[in-house]
Amino acid sequence: MKRTAGLASSTRTNFLLEIGTEELPWQVIEPALTQLEQTLGLLLTKHRVGYEQIRTFGTPRRLAVFVDGIASKQTSVRQELLGPPKDRAYDVHGRPTKMAEGFARSQGVPVEKLEVKHTPKGEYLCAIKEEKGRTTNSLLRDLLPDLIQQMSFPKSMKWNNTGLRFARPMRWILAMNGSTVLKVKVAGLSSGNRTWGHRFGPRRAHAQDGIILKSPETYLTTLERYGVIVDHRVRRAYLESRLRVLARSAKGTIYQENYNALLEQATFSLEYPGGLLGQFDPQCLILPQEVLIAAMKEHQGFFSLVGKDGKLLTQFLAPINMKLSDKDMAVIQKGNERVLAARLADAQFYFQEDRKITLVERVQLLKSVTFHQKLGSLYEKTERMVNLVTILADWCGWESLKEPCRRAALLSKADLTTGMVGEFPLLQGLMGREYARHEGERESICLGIGEQYQPRHPEDTVPQSAIGLLLSLADRLDTLTEFFRAGILPSGSEDPLGLRRQAFGMVRLLIEGQLDVDLLDIIRLGEGGERLVGSKPSERNRVGTGNNRATVKEFVIERLRYYGRIVHCLRDDVIESVIAGCSANQCNILDLFLRMQAIQSVTHEEAFDPLMVGYKRAHRLVEKEQWTTGAVDTTLFEHESEHTLQAMVTEAMETVASTLNARNYHLALQALINLKPSIDEFFNSVLVNALESAIRANRLSLLYRVDRLFGLVADFSHIQVQGK
Amino acid sequence: MTVQDLLLSLQQFWAGHSCIIQQPYDLEKGAGTFNPATFLRALGPEPWRAAYVEPCRRPTDGRYGDNPNRLQQYFQFQVVLKPCPDEVQSLYLESLQCLGIKPQKHDIQFVQDDWESPTLGARGLGWEVRLDGMEVTQFTYFQETGGQVLDPVTVELTYGTERLAMYIQEVDNVYDLVWAKGVTYGELYHEAEVQFSHYNFDIADVGMIGTTFESFEAECQRVLAAGFVLPAYDYCMKTSHLFNLLDARGAISVTERTGYIARVRALARGCAAAYLERREALGFPLLRKKVRQ
Repeated sequence: MKRTAGLASSTRTNFLLEIGTEELPWQVIEPALTQLEQTLGLLLTKHRVGYEQIRTFGTPRRLAVFVDGIASKQTSVRQELLGPPKDRAYDVHGRPTKMAEGFARSQGVPVEKLEVKHTPKGEYLCAIKEEKGRTTNSLLRDLLPDLIQQMSFPKSMKWNNTGLRFARPMRWILAMNGSTVLKVKVAGLSSGNRTWGHRFGPRRAHAQDGIILKSPETYLTTLERYGVIVDHRVRRAYLESRLRVLARSAKGTIYQENYNALLEQATFSLEYPGGLLGQFDPQCLILPQEVLIAAMKEHQGFFSLVGKDGKLLTQFLAPINMKLSDKDMAVIQKGNERVLAARLADAQFYFQEDRKITLVERVQLLKSVTFHQKLGSLYEKTERMVNLVTILADWCGWESLKEPCRRAALLSKADLTTGMVGEFPLLQGLMGREYARHEGERESICLGIGEQYQPRHPEDTVPQSAIGLLLSLADRLDTLTEFFRAGILPSGSEDPLGLRRQAFGMVRLLIEGQLDVDLLDIIRLGEGGERLVGSKPSERNRVGTGNNRATVKEFVIERLRYYGRIVHCLRDDVIESVIAGCSANQCNILDLFLRMQAIQSVTHEEAFDPLMVGYKRAHRLVEKEQWTTGAVDTTLFEHESEHTLQAMVTEAMETVASTLNARNYHLALQALINLKPSIDEFFNSVLVNALESAIRANRLSLLYRVDRLFGLVADFSHIQVQGK
Repeated sequence: MTVQDLLLSLQQFWAGHSCIIQQPYDLEKGAGTFNPATFLRALGPEPWRAAYVEPCRRPTDGRYGDNPNRLQQYFQFQVVLKPCPDEVQSLYLESLQCLGIKPQKHDIQFVQDDWESPTLGARGLGWEVRLDGMEVTQFTYFQETGGQVLDPVTVELTYGTERLAMYIQEVDNVYDLVWAKGVTYGELYHEAEVQFSHYNFDIADVGMIGTTFESFEAECQRVLAAGFVLPAYDYCMKTSHLFNLLDARGAISVTERTGYIARVRALARGCAAAYLERREALGFPLLRKKVRQ
């Protein structure tokens, strides 16, 4: 299809669509705005309406999309569609044939209007279709209802008899292009130029009838006068500065770890970015800091404050949708303080009650807590974990940690039966640590229990303690192998149980925790292939273990690829060369990763690409040619470059072999890089496929050594030489 | 404002907006939603507007009368409107004004809270309404109850009356609330909290309750089969409360829990389907009435 641009309209206006709603959940607003922006952009482009830019704004009560400089008309198009060749379109008398008529019909053009077009391939029939541009206003009137109705949300609802689904009920629609009001009907609403201000904001006389907007350009300023900061970027900035001022007045700073998440939540929960400083009873400081922070954040969305020493202050910040007199603010402050006090009283109640039952006693309670319907109880998982950490500690050479690891694993899941974790699920592990401390367990055990869920998210660190590392590894290993055994696998983008996250965590534990164990060994261990201390593997119904092992391995390797690519920005071909070079019965994730890093670091060297060219030439010859491999016979050498290469390879072999054992891959790669001149020189000065077969075989055997040498590090044939 | 005045004011307000003031249903229940005036009336096309005080029992929330905020029995004020009026949020805010709460002097936020009752096979989208940070009302657009998709949609407002009263009277302990002039909440209900907490947590006869659950379940099914949905639904409500009691006694494991919930839900679904069928057979009588406005 060919387009000929018509005259672009010189008059441009601004377009505004505002969808007024009841309070939207804060999480859906930004994705909804992105949807609006993208869909509208696509629609305008598809319908040939020019515009300068699309911007979006959102609050809990409105989704707005603003198009700057929208053309007043669609551009016209002239389409030329080629049909059959001219000589088959007209008969000897020059009358159109059936073929020509069919073409005209299919294009909706009268047959006499068909033209003949000269093309490099000859003369062809051509249908010319012209489409006059419609006005943007008339087009928008057609497009807007679908734009709104086709928005999708993770959860949507019906509220009236139109049956339309949206995240929350829609209450008004404002649609204006310049000063023109675009009338459309959606969800039983007729659009207009009316908007509504803050529910409880200033100038409430307008709360009933709304505000007439004069033009799209006055949108932000008008609503600001009515108590709404529509632009969420501005609202976020206001809120941040407000919170900073309040924090400073309390001589503290905002607790950073959950700051960004809370700020997003607050920004999209408010129409006006207010905040206040509140206080809780210092007596509550006997609760673990994590409990206090969770109580403030989880339910109320409060920001915690810390002092210069990093310790929690008894003040907090509450995001408020209002700005009122000090007297009224004091009332709101008191209300918020009372709510937090009640929650902290609850927390204290749990903290006391929970400690009446020891963790060891709680282990028994885990018998009635399901791990997964098909996989038994958490008690059984605990038993498995105890065995796993024992063997893992052994493999890591941490003999002295065996007993503490067993103890930590035994107690690891006990806190899931406490009231506190029931109330604040995010405190799992951390409460275990606190209660273990209370019971006088060794500090290393307590720390390990506290760290067992790390990394909890991509930004989180892996456990710092050896016990924590092994617990976390054992937990994930067990989850992964058990789920795969039960045939519960993630499919496509669906991964409801977060198995990919578990495997990704495992990769990070092995690499960042520097756990030098083989993946295949630990999968076999997870599957119960190793003798499990104190349990009878025969009692457990294990099927298809061999197949599963390969699947689990591939699943973890896939996460290793992702880790290399996303976290360390490694080149795909570098990642693949190392994975392909890994033998079938060995797979040490830490080792693979170190190789990848080392290769990536030399890819920037000037010699790398030429070296790869030379290597690949050698590799291809070795793969392709037929000869009898034998020891290289230096007496058959005809050229100095053969002697040099032979000597260099022998030297490099020694270096590489010794550095591989020490995992010093940088040295190994340097040794390979050093080969570059001799490989080049070899290819420049000799013909591998020499006429005399003994010489040819000897040269191929020399190249075979080169190939094997490289193969010790990775399968470099996967490396893609970056063209200059 | 006393608790009593608060309840009266809410009744007065909603009666003024065409709600029938219903009386509490005379069976134990975990929430006002269980009352047939909500659970059953939400079903089908017939218009419905009602408001009522509902005493609710949540055995696991008992604290032997020691906790200033938690009770095993408390009072909800429940409003149901079908179809849901466009201005329902404004109506709700007006109702707060009649309690003396000026929305423009407070921080009122509608915070997402999608409600789901696995026992009733019901779900809806909505908010918890927070007044200066305190959750005072549950505001839900029902989408489904008893497994039936609702059309038209019923909106349910559930006021936490104790919370609201504590806010208005500025007391930190529920037992200090003035119920009526000269009488506190504690004087009326503290002893019940103590006794029922003991009963719920320590005394209740697990064996007896377990077998009663079985008999009531069977009775519900039998009565349903005989074609009498209203008495059948009574037994459904009773099983739900018995399940809550077993739960409070710690008599059911997590796995069993899911099983019990599924059994109550099966009864609720059966009742919902039978109710709809019955109303249809009657020709949906309330449809023929002029909608009260």
